[in-house]
Amino acid sequence: MDLILNRMDYLQVGVTSQKTMKLIPASRHRATQKVVIGDHDGVVTCFGMKKGEAAAVFKTLPGPKIARLELGGVLNTPQEKIFIAAASEIRGFTKRGKQFFSFETNLTESIKAMHISGSDLFLSASYIYNHYCDCKDQHYYLSGDKINDVICLPVERLSRITPVLACQDRVLRVLQGSDVMYEIEVPGPPTVLALHNGNGGDSGEDLLFGTSDGKLALFQITTSKPVHKWEIQNEKKRGGILCIDSFDIVGDGVKDLLVGRDDGMVEVYSFDNANEPVLRFDQMLSESVTSIQGGCVGKDSYDEIVVSTYSGWVTGLTTEPIHKESGPGEELKINQEMQNKISSLRNELEHLQYKVLQERENYQQSSQSSKAKSAVPSFGINDKFTLNKDDASYSLILEVQTAIDNVLIQSDVPIDLLDVDKNSAVVSFSSCDSESNDNFLLATYRCQANTTRLELKIRSIEGQYGTLQAYVTPRIQPKTCQVRQYHIKPLSLHQRTHFIDHDRPMNTLTLTGQFSFAEVHSWVVFCLPEVPEKPPAGECVTFYFQNTFLDTQLESTYRKGEGVFKSDNISTISILKDVLSKEATKRKINLNISYEINEVSVKHTLKLIHPKLEYQLLLAKKVQLIDALKELQIHEGNTNFLIPEYHCILEEADHLQEEYKKQPAHLERLYGMITDLFIDKFKFKGTNVKTKVPLLLEILDSYDQNALISFFDAA
Amino acid sequence: MLLPVFTLKLRHKISPRMVAIGRYDGTHPCLAAATQAGKVFIHNPHTRNQHVSASRVFQSPLESDVSLLNINQAVSCLTAGVLNPELGYDALLVGTQTNLLAYDVYNNSDLFYREVADGANAIVLGTLGDISSPLAIIGGNCALQGFNHEGSDLFWTVTGDNVNSLALCDFDGDGKKELLVGSEDFDIRVFKEDEIVAEMTETETVTSLCPMYGSRFGYALSNGTVGVYDKTARYWRIKSKNHAMSIHAFDLNSDGVNELITGWSNGKVDARSDRTGEVIFKDNFSSAIAGVVEGDYRMDGHIQLICCSVDGEIRGYLPGMTEMRGNLMDTSVEQDLFRELSQKKQNLLLELRNYEENAKAELASPPNEADGHRGIIPANTRVHTKLSVCLRNETQAAHTELCISTSNDTIIRAVLIFAEGIFTGESHVVHPSIHNLSSSICIPIAPPKDVPVDLHLKAFVGYRSSTQFHVFELTRQLPRFSMYALTSLDPASEPISYVNFTIAERAQRVVVWLSQNFLLPEDTHIQNAPFQVCFTSLRNGGHLHIKIKLSGEITINTDDIDLAGDIIQSMASFFAIEDLQVEADFPVYFEELRKVLVKVDEYHSVHQKLSADMADHSNLIRSLLVGAEDARLMRDMKTMKSRYMELYDLNRDLLNGYKIRCNNHTELLGNLKAVNQAIQRAGRLQVGKPKNQVIAACRDAIRSNNINTLFKIMRVGTASS
Repeated sequence: MDLILNRMDYLQVGVTSQKTMKLIPASRHRATQKVVIGDHDGVVTCFGMKKGEAAAVFKTLPGPKIARLELGGVLNTPQEKIFIAAASEIRGFTKRGKQFFSFETNLTESIKAMHISGSDLFLSASYIYNHYCDCKDQHYYLSGDKINDVICLPVERLSRITPVLACQDRVLRVLQGSDVMYEIEVPGPPTVLALHNGNGGDSGEDLLFGTSDGKLALFQITTSKPVHKWEIQNEKKRGGILCIDSFDIVGDGVKDLLVGRDDGMVEVYSFDNANEPVLRFDQMLSESVTSIQGGCVGKDSYDEIVVSTYSGWVTGLTTEPIHKESGPGEELKINQEMQNKISSLRNELEHLQYKVLQERENYQQSSQSSKAKSAVPSFGINDKFTLNKDDASYSLILEVQTAIDNVLIQSDVPIDLLDVDKNSAVVSFSSCDSESNDNFLLATYRCQANTTRLELKIRSIEGQYGTLQAYVTPRIQPKTCQVRQYHIKPLSLHQRTHFIDHDRPMNTLTLTGQFSFAEVHSWVVFCLPEVPEKPPAGECVTFYFQNTFLDTQLESTYRKGEGVFKSDNISTISILKDVLSKEATKRKINLNISYEINEVSVKHTLKLIHPKLEYQLLLAKKVQLIDALKELQIHEGNTNFLIPEYHCILEEADHLQEEYKKQPAHLERLYGMITDLFIDKFKFKGTNVKTKVPLLLEILDSYDQNALISFFDAA
Repeated sequence: MLLPVFTLKLRHKISPRMVAIGRYDGTHPCLAAATQAGKVFIHNPHTRNQHVSASRVFQSPLESDVSLLNINQAVSCLTAGVLNPELGYDALLVGTQTNLLAYDVYNNSDLFYREVADGANAIVLGTLGDISSPLAIIGGNCALQGFNHEGSDLFWTVTGDNVNSLALCDFDGDGKKELLVGSEDFDIRVFKEDEIVAEMTETETVTSLCPMYGSRFGYALSNGTVGVYDKTARYWRIKSKNHAMSIHAFDLNSDGVNELITGWSNGKVDARSDRTGEVIFKDNFSSAIAGVVEGDYRMDGHIQLICCSVDGEIRGYLPGMTEMRGNLMDTSVEQDLFRELSQKKQNLLLELRNYEENAKAELASPPNEADGHRGIIPANTRVHTKLSVCLRNETQAAHTELCISTSNDTIIRAVLIFAEGIFTGESHVVHPSIHNLSSSICIPIAPPKDVPVDLHLKAFVGYRSSTQFHVFELTRQLPRFSMYALTSLDPASEPISYVNFTIAERAQRVVVWLSQNFLLPEDTHIQNAPFQVCFTSLRNGGHLHIKIKLSGEITINTDDIDLAGDIIQSMASFFAIEDLQVEADFPVYFEELRKVLVKVDEYHSVHQKLSADMADHSNLIRSLLVGAEDARLMRDMKTMKSRYMELYDLNRDLLNGYKIRCNNHTELLGNLKAVNQAIQRAGRLQVGKPKNQVIAACRDAIRSNNINTLFKIMRVGTASS
């Protein structure tokens, strides 16, 4: 059975954060429900649909930005009390809109995530987790990296309190009281947590989570260890997951999984007999889906998926057919409703337009006076700058609540901008006139009408570091633009990991000197991505990293007065050495840098590169042959006379071409890294081998592993 | 929602823009398309065709209903249609870089096979103006040629640059078709037979043209722009990051008006309303679109829109029923409208809020530097622009300079200039480093061509520490001849080449024209006629003198024949002159042209000699081969070996000969292009009737190989009597 859902737009509020829309439970099954949503203006709006028009139940006054909205109530009764987290305050409303609860927490940072269960309140700010019971502080935990979401396994079913934190460093931390019971390493930075089936599944311990790189997985959180149930990879390269809900939209008696992503994708997964998720439905909305829930809003007895998007749209994907087959009269009625809606909107618009014109004139007039100031409030930009593991490139996502007019990208480091299929903006590269202006890249993206979200792909080179700036100009009067800065770090292609292979031959770089723990931490933050800005607790800390392109690793251990960096890749050590000595000189700190080079590591790295290089060379060769072989095929009719290898190429032609297209300039990057390795190896020995690089490239052109290794040894 | 009525997947690749549908047997529409390896395939799903095996056509080994036609050369254009009305069926026309083949598919015979020296980049079939028989018009190297069904060349003229696209359209509404020509110099020219009636300058190479209805036509450029013109006025255009591979006019929503269907390089097909450019339908293929055509492919009396992708996927769409009210997409119109209106409301609310916040900020405190961070600037901030000419100095080549400055202590963080045709992309960005920020920025601009350009500026104004900037949007026009600097009079520098003509305008009006088309310094004062002004080109330092006598006689001295032509055309349109005969002399250019003409002759004779050699060689090969085989049969291995050795040597000679021929041919093409351009340039020196006369007369002179007459015509500006 195909799932057909029709899109209905209900209402638009202000910009919304993740998990800020809920449906209030209805008195009976499949009766229409009210929607409650909180936005960045601090307004909580509760509305229901009446005859196709949104009728407000209540609307609160503006206040600080609402970060989360949850429903709660006494356990085992309908959860219909509304709780919002705004700044450091929690407020509660009844479903009629009466504020009955207000709790000023003692947190210094504003609240980022919230979970409510009966009288237990679980809150987290950037790094701090707090558990309150009846507004009394119970437990506290300081996390090493940012906390993205917090949840607690159902207390009513398990009779124990087991909160789980989703932390940016790819770890789920399962707590007991104020202590970590155990940590679960997950494949990407987790962004959202949800209970399976809404209640923790059969065991009450089943926990779902989604990651910012678009993966989705289920774990059972037992008291002793986590049990991995299933995981959905992100093969279609869709966006990061922002919200999850369980609801039986297919109507087969089993709750389906509803997923909303930050590229506007809404997905429905059902479960097969083996309890494995299967994708049943997907639809693209044009902007981030911040909240998702199944229920019934537009019309009673028709189930639907209700989503809210970044710019505040509440939209239903309903099972109600748009064009009824019951007769022409019915359709007319629907049209009539729509017509009413539109004409009332038009009236409103006309009124607004008049008002805006007046204000515009005032604004113009004020620009005549010499004392007046012209200030334009900032608009929100929802941005994400992340490293993709698959192709070792960065993706920059910019989202604005209104349509974007143009985006100027400026960089003071050499980077490549890659084409993204999803993005329809017209890109134009400008010449970077003079070196004195520190511009290595100047590009404008002129967006098509109604583009609110822009995705870019950037390829960086390790060792070259600096800042990337995006000037975003939306299509709104008076015209303004906002700058966003992103740091391209020296070891930009490294990613945090939790395990490394200790048996590899390692090169070591040791720093000693008069520096504090905070200072050495700030250098690590400067050099490597995914390190928390705040110095971690404790005297000594160790971070592990993995090069996403070459799979080489880096271990960094540092304390006050000492830092040790170990890597199997000489180039990594070389970059660190250059950057650290430069930074130290800049801050006038006396640093002793000593290093220990392991000759075997070069061979080891070359061996690591070998399969990648060989694969790429073979792929390039095969792709080159495709056209010629196809021509032969047309000319000769059958291909029986070809050797099996060529047969294979012909059969896999499409696949090969796709693979080749996916990794542009992959071979060049590998060549570049081998060249760096070569130069760095001899740099540590104190010899300059730049003159020999052409020779190296020659060897690479007719690649043979042994020849390359012996060249490295011989030179 | 409009769904394809049929989908086919052929196992042949389709070359972009080379797809045509024709009824080659008079009844069954078949799809013909160029594919790899110099072949054309014909897909005939209607008759399980009898296996024909002739020299040219053979059955495709891959599919039963596809036959292949061997051209043995890369196909550069292809079309199908009625060439000989008496035959009652369509001919297939295939152009390559050297030849044009008109082919009778039904009888498997050539209608004609003509050598075309200028190549065939584009082809169109139909009737042109008063010429009664249908013509196959090809566009090549600056030249246009039209052939009738016998292969005789009934139409020939030249145009400004390499032709990329052709279309026939009733441009002036007289019931007769005019020829639209899109070429590499970004121009769309309209030929009423061989007279140019209109010229539109676009911003990139014009890759496709198609008639819509009446005087309306669609166009596509190589930078991803598509749009619609009505006569000389552009209705709308849109630009995409993808490239338009093929455009076609088709009434997809049955409203009686054709929509513009575009096939894109990313596999998208969209239909846009001819009036607004609004998308009314779209679909996606998995690979780039090769062509969009129409035909009754199912033979049920309904014309379908047929889209083909380069991978051989073919989809046919029937026009939507009228009940669908043009609603071809799956989302409901009302929903979209509602969404659009709500979005508008939200935008207005935001704008209102902006003004409110602004008013609040104003009340707060007097302006100070600290406000800068939040993007607060004095309300009376103005941005001024100034265009001026900069001569060459030690650090920079000569250029036109655009100065942008604010009226107070605010700084300009960055300037974006959107302008077409003068930068490598569509925009130019100036982003000074944080240390070099100031309240004014000077931007060097060097437009490569003499065309007026609108510069759309966006200046980001704020303070040093700002993270939010005000965007000032301004538009400035760069005059046509901005790359010429006014210099002091220096009779010695006067170029010997000149054009001379008389206009009935007061000198004062000429001064107005000067100030509108050149960047004159503000303090320039030009006295009354007679006067003389002198300019220096910033590109190559060449001089330009313009002299006006009391009688209205104007002499322009310049060595650049293109510049002279541009000035005359610009003056003609400014003063609304319809016909103007100009006397011209460009001794240096004419001498070069003379050399080129001599070279063309040489290359022609070399070409003939080489062809003769090749024929000799092929005879020799035949005899050697026979001799070698004889020897083999006689078991005389020694002779056989020596024969094959000779054959090998001969083969090598042939290969070498081929290389020489290739080189010779490219040289010839280059020179022919120069000749064609010379005629075009001579034409541009004249306005109106004299222009057409000159072009026609020049052509005749070249045809009759009368070089002296050619130069005389170019000098006097009229056909010699």
